[in-house]
Amino acid sequence: MTRERVAAGFGVLGLILLGWGSYLGLFVAPPDRYMGDVQRIMYVHVPFAWLALVVFTLAFVYAVLFLVRRSWRWDALHEASLELGVLYTFLLCVQGALWGKPTWGVYWAWDPRLTTVAVMLLSFAGILSLRHFLDDPIRRASWSATATILAAANVPIVYYSVRWWNSLHQLQSSPETVSSSMVEPLRLNAFGLLALTVALLMVRSWIAADRRAAAMAPPLPAQGA
Amino acid sequence: MSGMIQGGWEFVWASYGITGAVMLIYMASLWVRRSDKDSSE
Repeated sequence: MTRERVAAGFGVLGLILLGWGSYLGLFVAPPDRYMGDVQRIMYVHVPFAWLALVVFTLAFVYAVLFLVRRSWRWDALHEASLELGVLYTFLLCVQGALWGKPTWGVYWAWDPRLTTVAVMLLSFAGILSLRHFLDDPIRRASWSATATILAAANVPIVYYSVRWWNSLHQLQSSPETVSSSMVEPLRLNAFGLLALTVALLMVRSWIAADRRAAAMAPPLPAQGA
Repeated sequence: MSGMIQGGWEFVWASYGITGAVMLIYMASLWVRRSDKDSSE
């Protein structure tokens, strides 16, 4: 089985689970006692929050592995996880704003959870920009890996911010903290997004590896040489 | 007064719609970037 088929398999599995989970979340699960139908945003918001934190944690692991092992494989996975984490965190903020307006009355508040998420988004987006500006692959990989290790210190702060400080944001939602009738769509969407993430990380890391290989390819000999 | 927020489906649809659209665009961009590499070989 080729690696393309493995990625396609994870991608298709992810999309099926996400479609099924979203259908249950939108049309089958009951409305929340207080938030009503608006709470259905949870089935897409919470999986993206979990996966954003997982992907940034992976970026940290890959950055450390690159600096320790000095293998380009880890740099490609580092770039892939940075891009995916920034995408997920951006979507997380949009979903959160759309959930915040009808429940809090505002799209955005400088609450500890939202502020730490904004810092996380901007710091990792900055590292991704840094990678685009640096042409030298060795410098690009080393500098961005170091920056990722520093920026990753904020990831556990984001997770625990709702416990450490008084926050407008509710505590983390999980299968243990939500009604049993809401567990199935939440779990399906979480596993669906996990499978899709595996596929996207694979494909994006191949693109990063190809770009790096092209940049380090020896120059072609001059014509007639 | 039930204490439950009434309506709000427009926020739900916007949330799912934007998420789905952005994810589709991102997957398409991966496809294009991968195809560019294949065609340049």
